[in-house]
Amino acid sequence: MKRINKNLNYNLVILLLCSSLNLFAQKEKKVTFIGGARSIMTNNNLVVNDTLASDTTTAKRNTGGYALIDLGVNIKPNKNTEIMGMFRIRNGFGGFWGSAVTFDVRQIYMKGIVANTIRYQLGDLNLKQTPFTLYNHHADAIDSLPTIFNLQRNIVNYEKFYMNNTWRMQGANVDFGLTFKDYIKEVNFTGFITRLNATNFSNVPERLMSGAVIDVMQSKKIRIGYNVNSVFDVLGTVKDSNVFKNNVQSLDAKFNTKIGQQILTLKGEVGNSNYKYSLDTLAPNLKDYFAHATATITLPKYFLNATVGYLNVGSEYRSIGAQSKDINYNALPAYYDRYTNAQSVRPLGLMDVISNDNLYNRTLNSKLMTTNNVFNNAMPYGLATFNRVGLYSTIQYKKDIDASVSYYNLSEIKGQGTLALRKFSILKMNAMVPLNKFLNLKNKLEFQVGGMLQNTNRNSDSLVENVRFKNTQATVGIRYELFKDFDLLAGYILQNTKGDEFIADRNDYTEVTYYNQQKYNLKQQIKAFGFRYNFTPKIYISAIYQQGEYIDALRLHADYKINQFGIIYNMLF
Amino acid sequence: MNKKLSILLLLTATFGVACRKNTKDFDGPSINDIYSSFKVLETFKADRDSVNFSSGQNVIFTAKFNKIVDWTITIKGAVSKSTKEIKGTSKNIDASNATWNGSATKFPVFTQENCTVKLTIKDVADTFSVAEKIVGTKKIVGFIVADFETGLKQGWTKFAQTGANMDFQVKTDSLAPEGKKYLNMAGTVNWDWLIGLIDFPATAYGTAKTFPLNTNPDAVYFNCLVYGVPNTNPSLVLFQFKEDENADGTINANNEDEYDYQVAVDWVGWKLISIKYSDLTYLVNGVPASPKGNGLRNPDKLGKISMLHLANPNDGFASSKLDLMVFTENGALQP
Repeated sequence: MKRINKNLNYNLVILLLCSSLNLFAQKEKKVTFIGGARSIMTNNNLVVNDTLASDTTTAKRNTGGYALIDLGVNIKPNKNTEIMGMFRIRNGFGGFWGSAVTFDVRQIYMKGIVANTIRYQLGDLNLKQTPFTLYNHHADAIDSLPTIFNLQRNIVNYEKFYMNNTWRMQGANVDFGLTFKDYIKEVNFTGFITRLNATNFSNVPERLMSGAVIDVMQSKKIRIGYNVNSVFDVLGTVKDSNVFKNNVQSLDAKFNTKIGQQILTLKGEVGNSNYKYSLDTLAPNLKDYFAHATATITLPKYFLNATVGYLNVGSEYRSIGAQSKDINYNALPAYYDRYTNAQSVRPLGLMDVISNDNLYNRTLNSKLMTTNNVFNNAMPYGLATFNRVGLYSTIQYKKDIDASVSYYNLSEIKGQGTLALRKFSILKMNAMVPLNKFLNLKNKLEFQVGGMLQNTNRNSDSLVENVRFKNTQATVGIRYELFKDFDLLAGYILQNTKGDEFIADRNDYTEVTYYNQQKYNLKQQIKAFGFRYNFTPKIYISAIYQQGEYIDALRLHADYKINQFGIIYNMLF
Repeated sequence: MNKKLSILLLLTATFGVACRKNTKDFDGPSINDIYSSFKVLETFKADRDSVNFSSGQNVIFTAKFNKIVDWTITIKGAVSKSTKEIKGTSKNIDASNATWNGSATKFPVFTQENCTVKLTIKDVADTFSVAEKIVGTKKIVGFIVADFETGLKQGWTKFAQTGANMDFQVKTDSLAPEGKKYLNMAGTVNWDWLIGLIDFPATAYGTAKTFPLNTNPDAVYFNCLVYGVPNTNPSLVLFQFKEDENADGTINANNEDEYDYQVAVDWVGWKLISIKYSDLTYLVNGVPASPKGNGLRNPDKLGKISMLHLANPNDGFASSKLDLMVFTENGALQP
């Protein structure tokens, strides 16, 4: 301890982890306006192919849209303080005289520095720790989404504040750092507390999440971190004194070194979780651990880097911060939520998953969320998916062509309804090819292609327990710059889901209560084309025509097709 | 800091924790149990084909299936038409879940007779049968307050109103659920709830002033067979348990405890009713009230039981029947 004190550089230096503000700028304006505006108009047409009778009940045509403006006021009363408030005015088309106008606060926070030492932020926060403690995995997102679909997906990201795998939360955050002369370069501390849900003073207790990170950077080569995250009910906020707690802690480390021209990076994280209710005798106390390690070799000469990874996440590992899904598969789609003469709930299709922002969560969900094996069966909670062990590898090439190939070979650790274990394999391939460079074209011509193959198998002595489930996905996209700032866009996504699988019903304690046998022979596809005109890099208008198709060969759901024409005007300022 | 050492520590930690024990169980219910087609692995059997329950013998039924199923064993007496049902949800039928001690589910009780035993399984069309012969019937273990086999015992006090169609007699006919006799209670009393009553004082059973019961109210159970007559107005049967707390041979209603058990006879046929002594409450006009004595349930100080047959005077004729009033220990009667 004395040694550390001796080596302390007594000038405590603030290590700003984000650089959105330059608080020390001398001629900075005290009040600035930021925000964005968007207008969307859509015209939809539903075609239902019901085998029983033609759907004469559902209204097939649907037009809609909205215009909105997000107006943010950024106030810097002094060099150490910043206040941000953003309001949203939204007007649904067709709502005249204010009938469809809403006025909301979109975000609000205050941040600054105390005594040139501790940085703080109160209000809205974007938080992230490690992939096993607090992380928004976007596990079901399509890796190689063509640009034409990304235009729509970016609206979801903006609406839900999805940035770099963070979760949007509300609370308080502090961080500060120390630098040292010898042995250790710097130590950074981060702590936060946020509210997951408010009490109703009856039967829903106040639930908070707290977290802390201690990051020790020994040198540019070695870094070690300790992460802790706790979700807990506040005792006394309801009469029931049975309180929930989910504690997660981990130790992570990174080491990198040069081997000739190559760079070797080793990363690892180990940790455990505890999930329990204090008084509920029916509730299990789930305890488990995880381990994750990767080795990456970067070959700058060949524009390559290759990673091999080992993953081991226990079957009872629970982390609300890392196992919350961005998408809520129990939510209804924004339009045509029911169809056929029986007015059945329309199953979610690719088009909904890509562009319907009302399916997505802005923040964490304190219960284990429903997964959808049509969109991701092998790793529905990303790297933090419990009950998985295995190896994976990724090779990435990035020069003119940006291409990557990943392969995961995983298995369950504990059987689900049987002692036989399911085996998972995932193969992903993505490439972005700037064809204009190869064809010597003046204007940009980008070609995107991607593929994904997920296999799930279980072999058991009892044939009824066998699983054969396959999910394939192919994406193709093209972007051609017809003239300056004017892009022609087209894209196609095909997804096939075939086989048998068992879907687990889970109770509130996340325990499996039943297995539903499901058969699939499902084909989904979206075709889209359109254009985008960029007024500036932050302002564009685009018109897109797309057709989403859902074809269920087993006739568990009626086939449908949605044709949509939309105009998007988007700006940020 | 030794860099090599730190790397080694990291790798050791990562792979060290990664060595898991092989688990020998699985999450959730067995998929095989839910989805596989039903198969009998071991046929349905009884461990004996004749049984003497009076000498303490039991019958153990066994069978094995490939999956968990809902099963029911139904035993029917050829003469008595008595029925016993044993139900379960399991893969295996064995001594832990299918032992028959001679008791009945539907009365009358079994006599010395041949029985058919049938196993039925939910969602399975096939049934499985074995034959069983009862050579000795089950003995009633407990303190019998009344079985009416010798009529109304000397020492009991009977009171019956002078209404129309009154019948407060011991009867001998095929309706008797146990033995050959039972108490029939019937009549129309349009001025009072009470149709008739019988007092059973402890002194009717010997010289002791109290019933010979356990001191622990959690261990003592009161049981009785009550018959609901079809197509009549509802009856109430009220049992009053009057304690002689000071053991002076006199029940003083003003300063000694009384506990009650009121039964609305809303079924048809014979039914066994049982209640733990500690669950009895003092009732005033059917409403729980504070007892007037020491407030402690003392079965060993029970001095008198009164059984009242009640009915709403506005309803008219009411009827029910009674048999086998018995105290048991550590569990309800299994006749």
